[in-house]
Amino acid sequence: MRVILHVGKGGVGKTTLSLATALGAAEGGHRVCVLSTDSAHSLGDALGRPIGPKRVSIAPGVEAREVSALDELASSWVEIQSWLRELLRDEADAMVVDELLVFPGLEELFALRAVCEEEARGETDVCIVDCAPTGSALRMLRFPDALEVFMDQIFDLERRGARLLRPLLGSSSVGRLLPSETFFEAFENLYRDVADVRRLLTDSARTTARLVVNPAQIVVAEARRTFAYLNLYGVTTDAVLINRVLPEDAGHGFFAGWRARESASLEDIVASFPVPQFKAPLAPREIIGVEAIGELARATFGETDPAEVLLGASPLRLRDRADGAVVEIDLPGIDHAEVDLAATGSELHVQVRDVARRIALPASLSGRPVEGSRLRRGVLSVYFG
Amino acid sequence: MRLVLYTGKGGVGKTTTAAATALRAAQAGRRTLLVSADAAHSLSDVLGQRIGSEVQAVAPEFDAIEVDARVELQRHWGKVHEFLVSLFRHQGIEGVIAEELALLPGAEEIATLIAVDEFARSGAYDFAVVDCAPTDTTLRLLTLPEVAHSSVRLLLKMQRSLARVVTPLARGMVETPLPDTEVFGQAETLLYTRLASLRELIAAKETSVRLVVTSERLVIDEARRAFTDLCLFGLHCDAVVMNRMLPAEAGREEFFAEWAKLQEERFAEVERAFAPLRVLRAELGDDEVVGPERLADHAAQTFGDQHPDAVLSEMPAIRFGKEEGLGFVEIPLPGAKLGALDIAKIEDNLLIKTANASRSLALPHTLAGLEVCEARLGKGVLSVYFDASGEAG
Repeated sequence: MRVILHVGKGGVGKTTLSLATALGAAEGGHRVCVLSTDSAHSLGDALGRPIGPKRVSIAPGVEAREVSALDELASSWVEIQSWLRELLRDEADAMVVDELLVFPGLEELFALRAVCEEEARGETDVCIVDCAPTGSALRMLRFPDALEVFMDQIFDLERRGARLLRPLLGSSSVGRLLPSETFFEAFENLYRDVADVRRLLTDSARTTARLVVNPAQIVVAEARRTFAYLNLYGVTTDAVLINRVLPEDAGHGFFAGWRARESASLEDIVASFPVPQFKAPLAPREIIGVEAIGELARATFGETDPAEVLLGASPLRLRDRADGAVVEIDLPGIDHAEVDLAATGSELHVQVRDVARRIALPASLSGRPVEGSRLRRGVLSVYFG
Repeated sequence: MRLVLYTGKGGVGKTTTAAATALRAAQAGRRTLLVSADAAHSLSDVLGQRIGSEVQAVAPEFDAIEVDARVELQRHWGKVHEFLVSLFRHQGIEGVIAEELALLPGAEEIATLIAVDEFARSGAYDFAVVDCAPTDTTLRLLTLPEVAHSSVRLLLKMQRSLARVVTPLARGMVETPLPDTEVFGQAETLLYTRLASLRELIAAKETSVRLVVTSERLVIDEARRAFTDLCLFGLHCDAVVMNRMLPAEAGREEFFAEWAKLQEERFAEVERAFAPLRVLRAELGDDEVVGPERLADHAAQTFGDQHPDAVLSEMPAIRFGKEEGLGFVEIPLPGAKLGALDIAKIEDNLLIKTANASRSLALPHTLAGLEVCEARLGKGVLSVYFDASGEAG
């Protein structure tokens, strides 16, 4: 299954362009599903009809779904909920189990699971994800790393403890507070899914991100950082979608100043992102509904099938050279001083500004020292001895 | 201290509106603080000068800060944080990654609120304006003190029950650091003292939320849902700012004619949908609103002769009562649809769920023993009736 993530600052038009991509892909004969993982869902607003947590068909070959953490919890976390309720048996506030959801983290988890379910269902060729604004979207991509640490280090300890203690404590008042084995199994199943989805998300032959921007300085500046972060997480960005570009016949009176600033931004975008770019023109009226969005898709993508992988190379590469091995990461627009590196055994730790990632090293590099690094022409090279 | 929080969908101009509001109040002589609570800070861009994570003077009577949740968190929740970092370090995870993992979900939001609360208590300011993150995050921010109170208690109980039985055994089995009573102690302080204080701050009469919108469909729809959810949590909204309205001159260009017509329909729609809130109209200028001069012009155009720190409209409050043998709760819930609401009474609480949020409302004793018999929605007010005959129904 092909996965396309639409990422960008709030309000740039991720939802509309996700739908345009979906309609364009369906025209190319693909079976498409659009998932909104932003808890402030806008798919329904953009289509002018309600879309809920259950998939609905919105056009021939296109289904849409707004992933709702509230709904997912109710339907799929029976074991975990029942343990929490047991824990709260003496308390008056059993409903907090539902409210736990308000915590971020769970939303990211359910978003990842939804992609996973789509893959497992096997009836979708292209899964288009309308992501939450940048910060949350990055958190979603980081989530598997954090969860892995939790599962390996903490979860296992508690599980072993519970196994040991269960027979000793039986059904005593303390005993019933121990989670049952089914609780741990439920959690483990969840984790296995997330590990799968990480493999899917970092497979550049299947998954790519599309950066949605407007031709405005602040938006482009943020997108540049996002581009580097996505690369750091091993997610290939295969296109930049520039939304709300003033068409030739507009913006010559009052908007002349805006038009000049837009031209500068467009040049900036060309210079900043070495990937294919598509312009979605500003329309003389609001773009709502399948028909209007379909028109936008044609104006934006022309003859290109938007479901295609538009750029081949992975942003994170391992190269073997005569004098040692090199790990390369594309980080255009980032200064070497903003990068921190450390190798510890089987992992390379890379930090770019305030975002960090542990990259698992192949066995051939495990335990080898970092000889040096350099950042040239937007590519960070890390040399191993 | 008067507190105004601005929220709305991404890209609508929250930061600009918040900065303009603060500047105008400061120029009227109010001691004003502008706070950015959005992790993707943009105050510096709008004010045209570098703003950091410490309070700094921007103009006379006008200070600003971009809250760094990590710094705040370290200050207020250091022990819990330290423990988690040591736990991760022990597993061979170093530096920033351990720090990042130790940022518990929701902690950043809470830390931001704690910072605002401290400014309110310091007495140094008459007026604070908070530039919040996009709608759903803000909602989470504002509802967290209430929700976190329940959730943290639950987590503590979980963790404690496990720690009590597992910890002594585990200490023998592994060398992993385990939480001690100090960690729990600090978590409880957070729970009982801090969160209670935040709940007061948010529910205070002097605190208002303002929604920023544009004339776009997606923006207005999202703000309407946010308005319903804010009301559900009893937060006071006092105005909507409709931003980027095309001036007459811009609408004369043929390409924008339809947009110009549409925005007037939408303005009327916003006035209806957000009643009784006052709707302020902010026009798009011919250049970006950056720097004090342009901000001052923008503020003058937006607020006219109104004080930017005034309570611009009053919303009815949640009301409990008894009438003709029936107990009732009235909750202003504009924009809600009865079919899309989930209402249930669980123990002594009334649980109300919208598509995005759920709140459990503690019922007064007079209603707690009764059963829900009917719910009605009219004129933006949800009325839930309770059978006072004392029989379950």
